[in-house]
Amino acid sequence: MQAATMDPSEEPPSVLWGLDPVFSAFARLYVRDILQMTESTQVPGIYFYNSHPIYKVDALGTVVYKREREDFFCYGVDDGTGVINCLCWKSNLFREEEDDPGKFSALTTVMFHSVSLSETHAGGKHSDVSPGSFNPVTELKKLREAQQKNCRLEIGELLRVRGPVKTSRHQREIMASTYYKVDDPVMAVQIAWMMEIPQLYRQCYDKPPQLQHKAESDTSSLSKATNIIKDFLKQKSVSRFRPYDVQDLLQPLVSCQPQTTSADQEPEAGPSACQQLRQLLKEALELLQDEGIIYRKVKSQDEIYHVTAQDKDLLIAVKDIIREDSKREKYAEKGCHILHILSAVRQRHSLNVSKAALELVLRSLECNSDIVSTSEHHYTVF
Amino acid sequence: MLPAAAIFHFPWEINSVKEGGSVRTYGRLVCYQPEESRATLSAQHASKEHHVVVHTLFVEPFNPIIGAQYIVLGETENTEGIGVMVRARVLNCVDGVNIALLQKAINEQRSFFRERECKQGKPA
Repeated sequence: MQAATMDPSEEPPSVLWGLDPVFSAFARLYVRDILQMTESTQVPGIYFYNSHPIYKVDALGTVVYKREREDFFCYGVDDGTGVINCLCWKSNLFREEEDDPGKFSALTTVMFHSVSLSETHAGGKHSDVSPGSFNPVTELKKLREAQQKNCRLEIGELLRVRGPVKTSRHQREIMASTYYKVDDPVMAVQIAWMMEIPQLYRQCYDKPPQLQHKAESDTSSLSKATNIIKDFLKQKSVSRFRPYDVQDLLQPLVSCQPQTTSADQEPEAGPSACQQLRQLLKEALELLQDEGIIYRKVKSQDEIYHVTAQDKDLLIAVKDIIREDSKREKYAEKGCHILHILSAVRQRHSLNVSKAALELVLRSLECNSDIVSTSEHHYTVF
Repeated sequence: MLPAAAIFHFPWEINSVKEGGSVRTYGRLVCYQPEESRATLSAQHASKEHHVVVHTLFVEPFNPIIGAQYIVLGETENTEGIGVMVRARVLNCVDGVNIALLQKAINEQRSFFRERECKQGKPA
């Protein structure tokens, strides 16, 4: 089974790769998929999983093969779906001791001297280091030992490795940019990994990348609709409107949608353009209300929407509430909580002010320094 | 050369793995016979006890803790008298592991692959 065989012509152009967030992340793919993803014909070293451009990966698995060279380790990592070679360079800290013990001790001596010098300056004490105190030589040695312990793995131990994927001599391998041994005595890390990866695939890797803007789907036409209304409200500084005031703005979104009814079918088979338009408008207005951008001051037959940011009365009401209540003993120290402000606004101004709308008002008041947030969700006036 | 990937199997599935297949499985160590390099892991499933015989020559010496949970990676082979045996490449003590959660994770991974193969089967 090939995971993603792809025509070279289907390969997305390289200028678009950066638009895919997976491209700049370490993709947590199954080893099987790392081995099977197709290499790009445009740029070697870039691979495609499900049209997602990928060049670096993140893997966790049991070491089933190891080979040590002077400069690097080669570990075969098995995650239960495949085995891949990981090229793990030894760090300088690791090699210094093996190749050049003199350099290392010279370094530590310099550090040691500088520390003991500062000690004598500070306390006027002698530089003899008692067993309990901080000794840079032993600390550095400990650090190096810990580093070595994390890098030198035996067969059967668990390795976490991140880095770009390379193909050398027709074999895929991971050039580790980071790698370390994972202590997993009760398999908690492995189990968590096994539970998480399928979710990542479902939510991310198995979804086709949105490299081009495709506005055909309903959700995107809805977001377009809300954006059109938002822009309109902002440009014209609208403070109040009725649905039919903005209905025409959405007309182009509905008419440009592909006609699904064929010539033979009666027109009443699907919803008419007019109905679609009204439905879209309704959804867009609901969305804007949920976001708090608009609200209805009075729920009546006459559908009037108030634009939160332009509603001077609401702004003044909120400011007054905070100013008055901050003087009360109960709120003097911490300021008024947002829920307190909300209930007061509902009593004083309108029952239909949503929390989202209030948050919007508070944010704009805070930007103007009319109010100050004392802590999260608490506001006061100076 | 790299060995084949050791795919997770439940202990009660080891008998149906074809010979030479790479597997990884788990179980409680119930018995170890060092003179024959043979360990037996046991696990319960559907009110039945299942045994996995492990050949431990490649992982010796190891510290056998009777009653502890172990994870084994290796190849299956048929031995007369015993049946299917796993020749261990890796044998790790993982005592304290949450077996129920591990089983869930294995099933989760399997259902993901099944789902994906289904999806890929359709357009092809």
